[in-house]
Amino acid sequence: MIIMLRGSEREQNSKFFDQLFRLRHEVFVVGRGWSLPTGNGRETDQYDVDEAVYFLDINEDGVIESSVRATPTMNHSLLADYFPHLIENGMPARAPDVYECTRYIVMPSRKSRDTIRAAKARLLIALFQWAIKEKLSYLQTVIDAGTLGSFVEMSPKTIPLGLSHPYGGGRGVAGGGECIAIRWPVGQHVIDDVLEYVGWPESPESVYDAEVMRSSSPALEVI
Amino acid sequence: MWFIISDYSSFRPWLDQMNTEKDVYGKRTLDFVERLQKLTKYEEICVEIQKELEWFGLSCVTAWSMPGPGRPHDEGILLNTRPQDYIDNYKEKKYLIHDRLITEMRQTLHPYSWKDVQERRKLSKLEQKIIDEGRDFGMHDGLIIPIVTMSGSVSVISPCGDDPDLSQRARSALEIIGIYSQQALKRALIREQRDDAAHTPLTPREREIMQWVAIGKSDDEIAEILNIGATTVTSHVENAKKKLDAFRRTYAVVQAIRFGEISL
Repeated sequence: MIIMLRGSEREQNSKFFDQLFRLRHEVFVVGRGWSLPTGNGRETDQYDVDEAVYFLDINEDGVIESSVRATPTMNHSLLADYFPHLIENGMPARAPDVYECTRYIVMPSRKSRDTIRAAKARLLIALFQWAIKEKLSYLQTVIDAGTLGSFVEMSPKTIPLGLSHPYGGGRGVAGGGECIAIRWPVGQHVIDDVLEYVGWPESPESVYDAEVMRSSSPALEVI
Repeated sequence: MWFIISDYSSFRPWLDQMNTEKDVYGKRTLDFVERLQKLTKYEEICVEIQKELEWFGLSCVTAWSMPGPGRPHDEGILLNTRPQDYIDNYKEKKYLIHDRLITEMRQTLHPYSWKDVQERRKLSKLEQKIIDEGRDFGMHDGLIIPIVTMSGSVSVISPCGDDPDLSQRARSALEIIGIYSQQALKRALIREQRDDAAHTPLTPREREIMQWVAIGKSDDEIAEILNIGATTVTSHVENAKKKLDAFRRTYAVVQAIRFGEISL
């Protein structure tokens, strides 16, 4: 089940957030060896703000299997703050109707090509359903250039904002590579692309707002 | 695991060193992607791709899906402007498994040029021969752009020319051009296959034989079952493969099922 949490509800949803920040520590700090600010085995950064929204895919055992964070670009944009050179088409990195996605995790408990693909699709569909409701124009993100093909495969409407640029010493250097900024126009047509890609006739489920969930399903509190 | 870029504290020094490049490559490429996204017809997509590659001095291109373990039916040419006899010869001699330009993909899935590969180590006689044959029609350098999809298949876009622009920025541009081209071609071909089952229909005999091929019978076995010569069987299968636009029997079977010519 996919739930959406707001950064401003961190206290009310501390159990989810605690699990999420621990998972992020495990994935990014331990797994990838990134030097990120951490404390008590949890990873948080300057984009974990009240305005941030989090999408979590939670399995039957209450374990987070995948997640993504979206921040409003007007005040919280990694692209604007650190990668403005990735934009070569003159589009502004910040706009009121553009959100930015960061901290993707996709870790289905049973790992196969199909389950990973399905997990990515579920997360993206939830993200777009929410973005449509919020009347956003674009979702943007910075990705490793090597993964661009996967995104274009999921939706041919993926828009590159510029060419790829090296980071951390470039390709061939440990921890380095090339990154590229991309944007998706928000709309049902992108969801349709993703559905076609995974071969699902319709969206699996809608996003659940944690606030609503808590009032209607006390079981969630058990997690 | 998906993509993540977020160790940004270490990027800052890079950013400071970097001049935001104001050259033509970025804008050109983004314009190309935008044009390509509007096209749906296969032929139009091919023309657009060729035009863009020409600008880099890349006059020939081949785009194909590589066969792989468990995916023999993936093999297929999406676009080719190299001379057909060169391609036929390449396939017949099974150069794919020896071609240094292709075997380099075991080392890297990032774009590389013919020259990069030749500089990396001395080539064997066969490897050199394959590259020389590729040069016979006036091509002196080219770029190999490997494209890995989420389904795990690997495609290659391989443009080449007499004296192409393969500068760093050109390569970054060509990587994006390659990725979008491959996806556009694949989608257009799938759409066309789906839209018009306008393949040349099989004859009743070809259909009958493909039905036996589908359940794994050899040409000799089919010949015995139908009481005809094995060479006749082979010739029927070859004709069916042509009609089904398949290089391999396994893919011909897949196509025949898809077009409703046979069923399992």
